[in-house]
Amino acid sequence: MKNGLALFLGVFATLALSWAGLLLTAHKQLGSLSQFKDPVEETLNPLPLSGLADQGRLVYQDLGCVSCHTQQVRHEGFGADIERKWGQRASYARDYIREKTVLIGHSRLGPDLRNVGVRLGDTASRDEYAEWFYSLLYAPQSKAAGTNMPSYAFLFDVHPTAGRQASYDALKLTSKFAPPAGYEVVPTARARALVAYLQSLKDTYDYPTERSLNTPAEISKEGAH
Amino acid sequence: MNSTDKNSRAEQIEIDASAKWPVLIFFGSAIMWLLLGGALQLIASIQLHTPDFLSACAWTTYGRVAPAAQNALIYGWGMNAAFAFGLWLMARLSATTLRHGGWLFVAAKFWNVGVALGIAGILGGYSTSFELLEMPRYVTLILLVAYAMIGVWGVTTFSIRNTENVYASQWYLFGAAFWFPWLYAIGQIMLLKAPVRGVLQPVVNAWFVHGLYGLWFVPIALASAYYFLPKILGKPIANYYLAPLAFWWLVGATAFAGGSRLIGAPVPIWISTLGGAANFLLVVPVVVIALNFFGTLAGNIAAIGSSITIRFTLISMIGFVLASVLNFALSIRGFAQIVQFTLLTDLRDWLIFYGCFSTAMFGAAYFILPRLTGLQWRSSALVTAHVGTAVLGVLLLTVGLAYAGWTQGKMLNDAAIPFGDITKAMTFWFTFRSVGLGLLLIGHVAFLINFIWIACPINSRGTPSAQFSNPPDLKLSNESVTEGHA
Repeated sequence: MKNGLALFLGVFATLALSWAGLLLTAHKQLGSLSQFKDPVEETLNPLPLSGLADQGRLVYQDLGCVSCHTQQVRHEGFGADIERKWGQRASYARDYIREKTVLIGHSRLGPDLRNVGVRLGDTASRDEYAEWFYSLLYAPQSKAAGTNMPSYAFLFDVHPTAGRQASYDALKLTSKFAPPAGYEVVPTARARALVAYLQSLKDTYDYPTERSLNTPAEISKEGAH
Repeated sequence: MNSTDKNSRAEQIEIDASAKWPVLIFFGSAIMWLLLGGALQLIASIQLHTPDFLSACAWTTYGRVAPAAQNALIYGWGMNAAFAFGLWLMARLSATTLRHGGWLFVAAKFWNVGVALGIAGILGGYSTSFELLEMPRYVTLILLVAYAMIGVWGVTTFSIRNTENVYASQWYLFGAAFWFPWLYAIGQIMLLKAPVRGVLQPVVNAWFVHGLYGLWFVPIALASAYYFLPKILGKPIANYYLAPLAFWWLVGATAFAGGSRLIGAPVPIWISTLGGAANFLLVVPVVVIALNFFGTLAGNIAAIGSSITIRFTLISMIGFVLASVLNFALSIRGFAQIVQFTLLTDLRDWLIFYGCFSTAMFGAAYFILPRLTGLQWRSSALVTAHVGTAVLGVLLLTVGLAYAGWTQGKMLNDAAIPFGDITKAMTFWFTFRSVGLGLLLIGHVAFLINFIWIACPINSRGTPSAQFSNPPDLKLSNESVTEGHA
């Protein structure tokens, strides 16, 4: 090769084609995905994040949770995501349009978090969930013995109760995880936001459109309604 | 490839003199980042098996240290080293001096200030959490402007070349010089400035990450091998006529291969299928390039023992082939199903960046710096230590992490195994990785000490001068005259 211009044009075309072929095409296909209105219940899905949860998303980004946690449930038969109860169904593209920053992750040093907001099951109350998340963040070993998740104690205030009544949201820690006598552990605003975000992570609505698109053809879904 | 008469040597001395300060600045900054990034990487690695280590403070929590380390290595060490090597080689191959070195000096300052601000931003809590684009938005412009001032010099040097022919290394350097700013700018615009919606973000991110590795770091490493092998061995590249084919095929397919990172992800399946198909197509250029390199090396096994640069180039070539094989394997759905999200996918990127690219830059530095400064590497023991730790480290980490990743993936896919048991089973391998990374860090310290001796005028007083009829980096044995020609 001697021709500088030909080299330049080739170099240009290489990336231009891949940009147009991959990114623009994908954008054309997915860029205008919208919420789905359930024909029976008349609800819009996915629901947008609450304001506090959206702040929590920023905490999630800032602390680099994505370094160890994915947020994508792979479909049945491809990995054991469903069997591990990381979700009732595989994640769809539409699930993610509610988030300003989509962090599906690339490493599973920790478990998948896409449906961590329903990890304890339907019976647990919202407060029980919050307590579970707070304890997990403050002292991971108290909820997941043997984990290598670091403690996020810096998201909490440890201060003396000084004879006052304990705060309503003080963590109910036991044994070696409990603070010294006369002290209590209270989540900061950042911890509250983060937990609100984690609680919002649940794809419980199954879209009829996506379900049919993502189902292998040979399995008949007749009568599923 | 290069004539060895006196005129040509005088010309090379002039080119080297023009490139001396920019290259020293870039290499110097690169090595600083290599150590800083390596230290952060070691901290992050230790935190995986000792979670309480430095976890009390938000600045040093794993989720911040790990991306900070990765960014320090990629943008600090990798980019600076690529600038140093790329500018020098472009000037050499274009047979023209590197002009306006002062601008490059300014650009280097801007680039390094930008990276430093970015790393501080990640540690301080402003990470964007997009892989390899974690640095906060406020550094984007600094980095792009600094890059523009650097990249334009590479391209200008190429366009005022005094040579008839354009050599393989120049194609790769020229291409990379265009691809990086384009990838980076599009990544920034489509993810941070005017974010695309939903799962398009991971698609853009995968495209960027794959492009950064495959269209920036790999081309620079290949440019180095295409240059140093014939230069030092004194014979042309074997089957060179296939090199243009390999170039276009490699870069064309790599540009489309990014989607292969999204197998099983909630994106349209054509994206990962296209990526997988592109990775399958890459078999041909990888074989051709391997033929080019190993064919040139065949029959010159003795040279491996006699030249540090050849040794590092050999590691780099093996790293390239291994990373390509792994890339290929990770496009196979059955394999990806098991090892996706494990240490094995990390290994693929690490092999490209460290096994292939970084080792190539070490080799280049051992060749270039004595020629720029006119001094020898003072301690051959430290050189040996660097090569030794690199060989051992790459070998151990490749074998270890491949096995660990496979085990981890098998366990992840067995829902009967509680997640905590996987972490326990992996603890040994996390420790193993810390040891491997620590080993590499020792080699980098040795490299730094030698670099200070050769590059810092105050410290280099005791360093013997280099005579290129007796090349300085061939102190070990069996000196080959050919390396002395430049």
